[in-house]
Amino acid sequence: MTLTEEHIDYIIKDVRYRGIVYNELDDELIDHICSLVETKMSKGVRFINAYDQVIMSFGATKGIQKIQTQTISINNNNPRLMIKNYLKMAVRNLQKHKFYSFINIIGLSIGITCCMLITLFIIDELNYDQHHEKADRIHRVTMESVYGGNHFNMAVTPAPMASALISDYPEVEMATRFRSSGTWLIKKADGDQNIIEQLVVFADSTLFDVFTIPFIEGNPTTALTKKNSLVVSQSAAAKYFGDESALNKTLILDNEQTYTITGVYKDMPQNGHFNYDVIITMLNRESSNDVQWTSNNFHTYVLLHPGSDPEAFKAKLPEMIDKYVGPQVMQFLGKTLDELINSGTWIKYHLQSLTDIHLYSQLDVELSPNGDIKYIYIFSIIALFLLVIACINFMNLSTARSANRAKEVGVRKVLGSFRSHLIKQFLTESILLTIFSFIIAFVLAYLAMPLFNNLSGKALMIPFDSLYFWIICLSATIIIGLLSGTYPAFFLSSFKPVSVLKGKIAVGTKSGIIRSLLVVFQFSISIILVVGTFTIFKQLNYIQSKKLGFDKEQILLIENFWALGDQVDAFKNQVSSLASISSVSASGYLPITSSWRSDNGFWIEGESRNETSVSMQYWRVDHDYISTLGMEVINGRDFSRDFPSDSSGVIINKRAAKLFGFENPLGERIVTGNRDGEDIVHTIIGVVDNFHFQSMKENIDALCMILGDSRGFAMLKTNSNDIGNTVSQIEQQWKSMAPGQPFVYSFLDEEFNDMYQSEQQVSIIFTTFAMLAVFIACMGLFALAAFTAEQRTKEIGVRKVLGASVKSIVYLLSKEFIKLISISFVIAAPLAWWGISTWLESYTYKTTIGIEIYLIAGLLAFLVAWLTMSYQSIKAALSNPVESLRSE
Amino acid sequence: MHSTELLKGTLQTIILKLLQDNGKMYGYEITQKVKSTSEESIMLTEGALYPALHKMEAEGLLTTEKVKLGKRVRKYYTLTETGNTLVTQKVKEFAAFIKTMNTVLQLSPA
Repeated sequence: MTLTEEHIDYIIKDVRYRGIVYNELDDELIDHICSLVETKMSKGVRFINAYDQVIMSFGATKGIQKIQTQTISINNNNPRLMIKNYLKMAVRNLQKHKFYSFINIIGLSIGITCCMLITLFIIDELNYDQHHEKADRIHRVTMESVYGGNHFNMAVTPAPMASALISDYPEVEMATRFRSSGTWLIKKADGDQNIIEQLVVFADSTLFDVFTIPFIEGNPTTALTKKNSLVVSQSAAAKYFGDESALNKTLILDNEQTYTITGVYKDMPQNGHFNYDVIITMLNRESSNDVQWTSNNFHTYVLLHPGSDPEAFKAKLPEMIDKYVGPQVMQFLGKTLDELINSGTWIKYHLQSLTDIHLYSQLDVELSPNGDIKYIYIFSIIALFLLVIACINFMNLSTARSANRAKEVGVRKVLGSFRSHLIKQFLTESILLTIFSFIIAFVLAYLAMPLFNNLSGKALMIPFDSLYFWIICLSATIIIGLLSGTYPAFFLSSFKPVSVLKGKIAVGTKSGIIRSLLVVFQFSISIILVVGTFTIFKQLNYIQSKKLGFDKEQILLIENFWALGDQVDAFKNQVSSLASISSVSASGYLPITSSWRSDNGFWIEGESRNETSVSMQYWRVDHDYISTLGMEVINGRDFSRDFPSDSSGVIINKRAAKLFGFENPLGERIVTGNRDGEDIVHTIIGVVDNFHFQSMKENIDALCMILGDSRGFAMLKTNSNDIGNTVSQIEQQWKSMAPGQPFVYSFLDEEFNDMYQSEQQVSIIFTTFAMLAVFIACMGLFALAAFTAEQRTKEIGVRKVLGASVKSIVYLLSKEFIKLISISFVIAAPLAWWGISTWLESYTYKTTIGIEIYLIAGLLAFLVAWLTMSYQSIKAALSNPVESLRSE
Repeated sequence: MHSTELLKGTLQTIILKLLQDNGKMYGYEITQKVKSTSEESIMLTEGALYPALHKMEAEGLLTTEKVKLGKRVRKYYTLTETGNTLVTQKVKEFAAFIKTMNTVLQLSPA
């Protein structure tokens, strides 16, 4: 018999009452029960009894619920279905709270973008020189010595070092040398237009046995074995010969030497510690056959046999000093090594691994400016900070909104959700959010890449075609999603449905110790970064405005001045007659590190050579040098054309006078040896005040200047503000006197600033990311403040009705945050102090960082945070209480 | 009546085979069919049946179809193609199992 509608209604109601709510199950279970009841009734049992028996056969309420639980748990374990459900719920939740989702996604994507850019930068830095196949076996020999009161730490070693290493040590498979050589003027054999090549070097023919430099044309094993041969990079070849093959063509260097191109190699990768366009055979550098162990000019690289221990090899290097340096010292100075060591002079050879050079080597005479592992650490920390700040935003907003979501949690739990189910739900939300952020971050990173490359001086690209990149991004998505979602997920899912639905956990905004901690953390980091930014700026400013001992303003530099040949003096006269030029001087030695350097040992005439030896910079200058650069002669006089005897005169700096121990240096005679071993005597005619000719990271060393022909640069002091016009006048003059020679000019102050390029780059990168960090933190604060205000709408309404002023309400809402920011300041200040003292330690000349920097940074953080919050608080305070209270 | 212990592994095979022979069926119908064909020696409980049906549905072996009967909604199960191919395999497997059990327990061949 069939059941009546009333019966069915009764069954449906009863089954629901017993807790069967699962959508997929209830219908069929009811149908099943109905069928059973029908069967029993057809045997004559009354409906109510039949139903009772059926329910009992199921095991009463418990039994029925068990069927439901088992069915749900099977479906919960079905990933496809559940993920679909999680995703649907997540999208709905994100859409429902557009404002918070927006803050989260934007903050996170900015964080991820920065992190991505910095990571690419760091990876590039860490991979320097890895493209050489034998990179792990290549090492560079360097030299450290103390001589004449000066400490040297140089990347260069003596000329005979390489061959001695090969013949003396079986573990050395091969050795090769570089000799750097400045800029060259190069033209095609049949051309008349010179091109300036800056990236030129002399190298041994064994270069290609040690380093991996793939050839496009020519044979690497024979390329540099003949005199007057050179190899060029692909792009250099294209510059001279276009699409034609460059092999066996000739080039003319510096207007006089003819070379044959014996090979063309693929352009060297940007991330190598050397990068040359032209490599000339070492055979054309006579000094490469020198047997002198006392002059250091060659970069020496050794390739060790596989399996040999670099440490053991390094331990053998001191033998070389006894074997080679000792006898020569005896020959030149008449002293044994031990005697020298007793007088404080010593020499050591070190070994550097090729792959360590870029980040760990900060020696004199590097092949190119190196990076610094310190900055790698700093940048890694900043990247991590940015990401953490963005993740904290997510956690804070999620837990803050817990009051709103508490009801959702309660209802879900009542409906039979397990805790694990809820945790998965919240994690899906955060991972989804992370995925959105990543997509936006890809776009942002792509757009910001050119800018970042400009800042960092690199040519980075986002490796969209690399599988690794996607694997890393994918795992980063999951990790970041889990990281930012775990705390909210566990926090929210822990609510007890009873208390939630009774309204007990509606105080989500107040009970947030962890949330407060996280805000404190965010702002501590922000304050540290702001202090760091200020410090870097102050130090750079200090360097650039410090009294240098010379005047770097208004000085025009002409490079490769020697290209004028015998016209040098005529040019000087012509140019100095221009109204806009007040003086002209020519010298290769300038107080900027990119110019020439040379140092010699000096001793006082009549005294023995080593006891009073002072190692000094030995600069050849002309009569107008000191006046053009505005140096101050503090004792004696400048070089003068009125005194022909000045040709043997010398002007020393204050430091040198101190090292020699002269009370009155004028008239003292000092001696040095020239290349041929002859003594040259100079009479001191003047003393200049110390001036900085090295980076501020170093002390001012002893220096002397003599009259001599040196034509690296011409310095033109201008008194005109119309620089453009002055330059074009000079250029005209140059073109008429040196046709076909390139006119390259720069300004001394710019060249000077270039010395601090890496600091400047770091400061800009640091500033940018510090500002972004503060921005993201403030965005989080903004949302948090908005949320608090929203949460307390009713309270504010009641307060206003009872007569509270706008001011007191703003104060009430900001109070909590102001407290947090004060705490952040207290935490950040000592950490920032420690960080900047560590950084400043590397400078000999450094600015003082007073308490004001911290106060400004603290105040700034406070102000920005307060402005962020006050918008929300004032909005809340000004709102009409009628609006908020009407709904009650 | 056979013990549930023994029936545990065979439940899926029974349901699949029934559905193959009878086309679409609903839950109650399945229990009744099992009861009658086994001459009441196999009693399929609801607590075992429904989770099993839902599991097989989730695995893609079954599809469902809901039919409204007045106030009641009846849910019919049918085999999918994957389910269909699985039945033959399951039945074969079970036959092989019985054969093995015969040898192991030294019963006279059935």
